[in-house]
Amino acid sequence: MALPISVPRTRQRARAGANSLIVETLLNLLLIALILLLLLPIIFLFVSSLKTGREFLSSNSFLPQTWQWSNYPEMWNQANFGVYFRNSFIICGIATVVGTFFAALTGYALTRFRFPGSELFSLAVTGTQLIPGTLFFIPLYLSFLWVRNNLGVPLIGTNYGGILLYTGFYIPVSLWVMRSFFAAIPVDLEEQAMVDGATRFQAFWRIVLPLTGPGLISTGIFIFLTAWDELFFASILRLRTVPLGLLLFAGNQNNQARYDLVCAGAVAVTLPIIILFLLLQRRLVQGLTAGAVK
Amino acid sequence: MAVREMPVVTRRSWRRRVSQNRIAYAFLAPAVTLMVLIHLIPTLQALYMSLLNLRQENLRQYLRAPFVGLRHYQNILIGLFTGTGSSYVQGLAQALSNTFIFAFVVNAAILGLGLVLALLLNREFVGRGLARTLILLPWIVPTFVAGLIFRYIFLQEGGLANRILVDWLGVMNTPTTWLVGPNARWALIIAAVWRGVPLMSLMLLAGLQVIPGDLYEAAGIDGASAWQRFRYITLPMLKPIIAIQLMFGMVFNFFGFGPYNIAVAMFGGLNLGTYADLLIPTIARQTFTNQLYSYGAAASVLMMLVAMGFVVAWYRIFRDALTAQ
Repeated sequence: MALPISVPRTRQRARAGANSLIVETLLNLLLIALILLLLLPIIFLFVSSLKTGREFLSSNSFLPQTWQWSNYPEMWNQANFGVYFRNSFIICGIATVVGTFFAALTGYALTRFRFPGSELFSLAVTGTQLIPGTLFFIPLYLSFLWVRNNLGVPLIGTNYGGILLYTGFYIPVSLWVMRSFFAAIPVDLEEQAMVDGATRFQAFWRIVLPLTGPGLISTGIFIFLTAWDELFFASILRLRTVPLGLLLFAGNQNNQARYDLVCAGAVAVTLPIIILFLLLQRRLVQGLTAGAVK
Repeated sequence: MAVREMPVVTRRSWRRRVSQNRIAYAFLAPAVTLMVLIHLIPTLQALYMSLLNLRQENLRQYLRAPFVGLRHYQNILIGLFTGTGSSYVQGLAQALSNTFIFAFVVNAAILGLGLVLALLLNREFVGRGLARTLILLPWIVPTFVAGLIFRYIFLQEGGLANRILVDWLGVMNTPTTWLVGPNARWALIIAAVWRGVPLMSLMLLAGLQVIPGDLYEAAGIDGASAWQRFRYITLPMLKPIIAIQLMFGMVFNFFGFGPYNIAVAMFGGLNLGTYADLLIPTIARQTFTNQLYSYGAAASVLMMLVAMGFVVAWYRIFRDALTAQ
């Protein structure tokens, strides 16, 4: 920053300026090196998806000799990827919308009311995050099986089970995020609306919710990204979502030497969420860090 | 958490407060219903199952399974402390020590690298926004994809690591085996660190940006060196964020499914070998392949108790830093 008073430049100062320029340049170079190191695995994945399988194993060159874009349609057809993608979009999309809405309702109630049981509820919400998945997956599976056999709702091997599970799974974390956003919104506006005759839900839906746009978006992205990445319960409930689709394809003996196709699949699975991230990045970062610095 | 005054609540006024807040319960209802169905009931069932002797044949009518009390807990704990017991308890002991090493090394590395990156990003330079976006990309890559990437990086033939070390730099003469044997531990740690650094540096950067600049100006006038400014201003101001991130990191790396996904994708299944076996994959594998349903539930409960103990200890240590704001 420039100082408002002019300082006579002595030779010593000039040398200090040159020194700090060198330091800044070195720091910039260090930063560039670290960024390249962080990006290298992603670039490696991408260039590998455009080689041939043989080239991947034997070629000494980092870049492909000819860019095999045909790997992508080949992988897509061989792995029947369209089905997995559609399932993942349906499950994650519905879980995101419904889960965000439920988390918003709950987060709102926690900031606006002091009711008997609110402390116990908050404790329970934190507690859910400490339960290991290996503890309750068998009862969960048995319950879903029971519902299928006795109530006729096919919760296993279909998208319904995934939607139900993922909607419930991410509510605890989501409602903490939403809560911090609601806490920042003054109550005057909704109180005014309720004086004018709006119900509590109308005040929430029309006045408060539109003001929490960034909160809804960062909560929604959190749910979508996490559900997109869920593998353990997906395998228990035999969902046909992208993590299982890709790992089954990678583990298939016939594809053992087709690293190129597996890499193409990995790129295809990552692309939608990278696009989502680039579109909504600012909101997401805002939401993520809001809780951290307060 | 702030301590509130607890008024003496009579049964009458409690009931009145409940009915006054009817609307709040209505807002809570959907979330509570789902949490009861998905978290609470299965967890209670699992706690009960850990006291039974469940097998494949009595799994569906588990209420009729033989009740063995705390025997599974006893077997596990005795096995862990004396180093004896059945082969699966020994596998669990190995996984426990692996998980401790994994969680500590990964957390320490993520904190160190994340801090360096955050400090480098918290300067004025051209392209700062772009740099921040690029840094976050590894965190956007799904964990199972991260596992696949590092599986191919660490392939013995054709993997990037050996390509760089043997063919391009010539540091080593022969390709190393990364995914089998003791190296597997480090391969897994490297993958987890890569995936975890971005979020840590983002959080620390957010913390750095709210430190008031006049603190540094005052220190500059007093003649504090760069290291002193870092040690006595930056670090104390970052302490709450570091505390929270370390806690999340420990819980996440101890029994989150992120490391599970990375490991499963990296090693192509649940057989991770001696050195990369973590608690969650071990318990999952033993439960599935050996049908040790009750044992798996008991091991999970013990793991949960360790995590709770950790959170309580963490809260005691960092209480001042967390409530100071």
